[in-house]
Amino acid sequence: MPVVKQLLDLAAVGSSRLQLHWVSAAEGQLFADYVTELSDLIGKLGPFKPADFKLELAAAATVLKSTRIRWLIGMDRQITERENVYHEKVDPETYQKLVSQAVVEEYQKGLILEAIGDKPQSVREMADKTGLPVYTVSLRLNDLEKAGQAQFQGFEGTTAKFVLMAA
Amino acid sequence: MQETYEPKILAFLCNWCAYAGADLAGVSRFQYPPSIRVIRTMCSGRVDPFYVVEGLQNGYDGVFVFG
Amino acid sequence: MESRENVHQLKKSSITKSVGSVLVVGGGIAGTQAALDLANSGFHVYLVEKSAAIGGGMAQLDKTFPTNDCSMCILSPKLVECGRHLNIQLITMADVEKVEGQAGRFTVAVRERPRYIDTEKCIACGICAEKCPKKVDDEFNCDLNKRKSAYVKYPQAVPLKYAIDPETCIYFKGKKGKCKACEKFCPADAVDFDQQDKVHTIEVGSIILAPGFQSFTPDVPPVYGYGTYPNVLTSMEFERILSAAGPYQGHLLRPSDQQTPKKIAWLQCVGSRDLLPGSHGYCSGVCCMYAIKEAVIAKEHAHDDLDTAIFYMDMRTYGKDFERYYERAKNEHGVRFVRARIHSIEPSAQNSDDLKLRYIDEDGTPYDEIFDLVVLSTGLEISDGVRKLSETCGIVLDEDGFAQTGCFSPVATSRPGIFTCGAFAGPKDIPYSVMEASAASAASAALLADARNSLTQPKTYTDEVAVTAQEPRIGVFVCHCGINIGSVVDVPAVRDYSKTLPHVVYVADNLFSCSEDTQHLIQEAINEHNLNRVVVAACTPRTHEPLFQETIREAGLNRYLFELANIRDQNSWVHQAEPQKATEKAKDLVRMAAAKVALQEPLDRLQVPLNHNALVIGGGVAGMSAALNLADQGFHTYLVEQKEELGGHALNIKRTWKDEDAGAHVTEIRRRVLDHVDIEVFTGAKLIDVIGFVGNFTSEVQTNNTVRELNHGVAILATGAESYQPQEYLYGQSERVTCWHDLEDLFTREPERLQQAEAVAFIQCVGSREPDRPYCSKICCTSSVQQAISLKTEKPDLDVYILYRDLRTYGQREELYRKARELGVLFFRYSLEEKPVVEQTTVDAKEKLQITVRDHVLGQPVRFQVDYLNLATAIIPKNSEELAQLFKVPLNEDKFFLEAHMKLRPVDFATDGVFVCGLAHYPKPIEESIAQAQAAAARAANVLAQEFVEVEPIVSEVDQDLCIGCGLCEASCPFGAIHLVKVAGQGYRAENISASCKACGVCAAACPQQAIDMIHFRDRQIVAAIQAGGAG
Repeated sequence: MPVVKQLLDLAAVGSSRLQLHWVSAAEGQLFADYVTELSDLIGKLGPFKPADFKLELAAAATVLKSTRIRWLIGMDRQITERENVYHEKVDPETYQKLVSQAVVEEYQKGLILEAIGDKPQSVREMADKTGLPVYTVSLRLNDLEKAGQAQFQGFEGTTAKFVLMAA
Repeated sequence: MQETYEPKILAFLCNWCAYAGADLAGVSRFQYPPSIRVIRTMCSGRVDPFYVVEGLQNGYDGVFVFG
Repeated sequence: MESRENVHQLKKSSITKSVGSVLVVGGGIAGTQAALDLANSGFHVYLVEKSAAIGGGMAQLDKTFPTNDCSMCILSPKLVECGRHLNIQLITMADVEKVEGQAGRFTVAVRERPRYIDTEKCIACGICAEKCPKKVDDEFNCDLNKRKSAYVKYPQAVPLKYAIDPETCIYFKGKKGKCKACEKFCPADAVDFDQQDKVHTIEVGSIILAPGFQSFTPDVPPVYGYGTYPNVLTSMEFERILSAAGPYQGHLLRPSDQQTPKKIAWLQCVGSRDLLPGSHGYCSGVCCMYAIKEAVIAKEHAHDDLDTAIFYMDMRTYGKDFERYYERAKNEHGVRFVRARIHSIEPSAQNSDDLKLRYIDEDGTPYDEIFDLVVLSTGLEISDGVRKLSETCGIVLDEDGFAQTGCFSPVATSRPGIFTCGAFAGPKDIPYSVMEASAASAASAALLADARNSLTQPKTYTDEVAVTAQEPRIGVFVCHCGINIGSVVDVPAVRDYSKTLPHVVYVADNLFSCSEDTQHLIQEAINEHNLNRVVVAACTPRTHEPLFQETIREAGLNRYLFELANIRDQNSWVHQAEPQKATEKAKDLVRMAAAKVALQEPLDRLQVPLNHNALVIGGGVAGMSAALNLADQGFHTYLVEQKEELGGHALNIKRTWKDEDAGAHVTEIRRRVLDHVDIEVFTGAKLIDVIGFVGNFTSEVQTNNTVRELNHGVAILATGAESYQPQEYLYGQSERVTCWHDLEDLFTREPERLQQAEAVAFIQCVGSREPDRPYCSKICCTSSVQQAISLKTEKPDLDVYILYRDLRTYGQREELYRKARELGVLFFRYSLEEKPVVEQTTVDAKEKLQITVRDHVLGQPVRFQVDYLNLATAIIPKNSEELAQLFKVPLNEDKFFLEAHMKLRPVDFATDGVFVCGLAHYPKPIEESIAQAQAAAARAANVLAQEFVEVEPIVSEVDQDLCIGCGLCEASCPFGAIHLVKVAGQGYRAENISASCKACGVCAAACPQQAIDMIHFRDRQIVAAIQAGGAG
């Protein structure tokens, strides 16, 4: 769930729209208090308009369904509490950094994939659409090409256009 | 609380803990705002991260996970 | 199934010494629970009820303390289960006439009075009542309104069959013997005026008497103008007024003018703690709590300002969570508590229906206060009919008319083979009655162990309808729950809205969806409208899902084609001030449930082999009693005790409050445990690990340096509690200040100390009923009063003081309080704000303790010197956290174990196969610990008596085509319920071990390939619910 929070921040939705708390079977009052307090908090954030975040949410969903991120989340305890195949234990902080970096990359890739979903796009168009710097777009596009998820389609004038690769 | 706007919030409640806690709030008549729409899961571990995004895409203003 | 039938045949053919059936007399909550426990553990039950329907006093209550649960809602599922249980034969309108024989084989004559309605034909349409011209008082509603001579006891009655009352029927009583309107109009031809008495002669191995109490009637001689002033009511009458099915449909009105009262008074101890003729000396034990509950619920009904005042002598909120309830009523709900006895009641003015109460408060100031309504908190008593029943059964009653029992055999009557439970054996509340009911079933089962399964039949069902290929056809049933839902949520609007939802083809609303008639309505609707999915919008699935699942299964639908929308506990009850929004939320919740159920699939329950051994943790009286009963029932039992010796705290007790020799009894129990072939005792032992689930636990028990692995099917936690070591009142600084039984021990060791002593004091509530420990330790008042009596008896010139806050000698213990006062024990009350002050001093060169306490009657400090001070310190949980973690069971805020349901599942945990009893649950006296231990054994035997454990099929499912064998699921599963197996040609693939799977879904959320889904909580089912809830 920390990954989801990070994604919501990346997507500018705001991580406070997701609230995680523990309530035991004996804590009826605590439950009522949480709902009261947190509803108020969400209320103050104002109504959430998914249409304004269409691209971002779609990218986030892609990330959360991606094998890489699910692997990293799933391996968390394995690697921080037990050990990896090289009998190394990674300290949780390092691991979190690693995950967090991966989430950023995957999210950027997700955005690009969403951006080129409709029609062929140039790097600059993608940058405009996703709000990412041009340099970042080319880096991630490179990754996507390697992974066989996007490909060069052809030139429109002098501008290179890219499209999704059919699965 | 703002007067007119009542947020709609998706809430995942673990059957053994928070769902029971919410029922207890009911029998004790602890009042809270009518904002949440509850989905009972057997455990909060069942709440796949993508459900959160699914919620935000489908008309909720926030998502609560009570374990 | 087949193998079970074979066993059944086998048992049947072998000759057993005892009869494998039990007679339960009385169909209240106690009788119903006893019947269910026995029927579910291999015995046939005859349940005899004197009225036309089971349900008893609990059916008449509106809400129950301390949870404010709707009484009918929690009772109804049990009644319905009882009514349709294959191995329970209900005989209503019947009395026991003759009992012959002995333990193991009784022959009983039961006379069934005519109902004049053929129950086989009656369809409960109610036309007979509608057409019946004769109106009579409705006793179920305490005569506050009328019913007809043709009647049904209450709308959710089990069995739901009408009856004709021959005492008032025009045909029977009229001069010309005419009428028969009911017969003319009955569409089912069910009326039969020729019915005669039927005498059933039945053979049973044991008898359980659960005839219950009657409410004290304050009319002869009239108390507080009851019967004269229309607005003086009994508490039961007030319960009916609060009830949605009551005379005013749940509107808070007073009888004289049907106006809403603005001021209500409760008068405690009416008919109880009173030596006047007609009244009873004992405390009824439940009235303080029900009065608080009625005041809180009345305030809830009134919405706007309602002033409530409770006039009392001692507030006896001694049970689990009672003290918190009291504090909440006082501080949050604003219920007034006035410590005063009402002197007189009269009309406030001529021709006024308001009532003027005269009383003198604690400071001696006289008051006249006017109330619109006065409720008399009437006590519990034994009826003449029950006395007659006792005579028929040949059992001894005590001087108060209750069945005589001993502290060490709390459910055994004076006649072997006849057991008792509920208020018949002393005034008590519902949870304790339920515990005793289970205990009585355990005692019967132990007696008849060799005849188990000899007379029972397994339940068979019609084949399930194959629905997989069908389009969903959903039926939605929306519950009013009396007024619990209906008063907040617009139920008809939700019903009509449901009709517009996809796949919904049938909708209905019901007053109580859990009542027996609604089960039939649901089944009829399934058949008539070819429903293949059902949604009930009512209460919580945690309590009611099994009931509805059984209902649809009986109608041929798979249990898992069902969804419950919780529009009560998580809606109407928590949004009382926002009916519109609550209605919108209810619609959303129904829409979500309908969307999910449309995608649900039929599932088969899994049968897993069962280990028939039991593990009991804790070797005190509770643990030993539980182990003994289980072993007597034929189940091999491991008993684990941390200390080197069995016995626990009971070893410190000299005499019980019934004046029995505690030591002798404890020694006898211990001897029986140690000698029992089916009990294996581990002393000096500690439980270090537990894995598994109901039917298949494996525990590791460490003794010295060896660890033994034990396999068992159930576990009972009986780890007890300990006493709080105080910091206050010079404890630890003066050897003259002691705790609990230490003073008795000191006087036994050194008798000269008592001889030389001039005065002794006791201080109550040391560490109890404090802000950081807001519960009453329940047994301390009785213990100190008992000790005071024995000191006074031994040395009459000794001054004995008891400093208390409320004297809580509840139930028949009140006799001890009276005796102590007669002997001259001095009682001083102190308040939490002004605790007594204890100082060391010397008088005439003798070392003394000086105690200063503010006396409430004199209004000034009183000072006296004593030689010894004994403190009644709080009883606190012991190591409960460790055990709670091992078994994954919850604790309450005070760290006592938290049972599955405070009222009706007092020894169960929500986790199957784990049970609790004794002080680990809450402080309690020996007889309650033993009753609870036997109850835990009965509930455990319910599991152990089966051949298999049925496991919910809600487990994870691996799609082996998507699985890449990475093993993350195996690594993440907290229960070891998923592992990799080698698949030919594919390398490794994950596989679920269904029996161990707790359906937590961690593996599904962790699977990088999304190859794991949770059956019944599938991604697409949850996503459908998410989307449905967000739309609209």
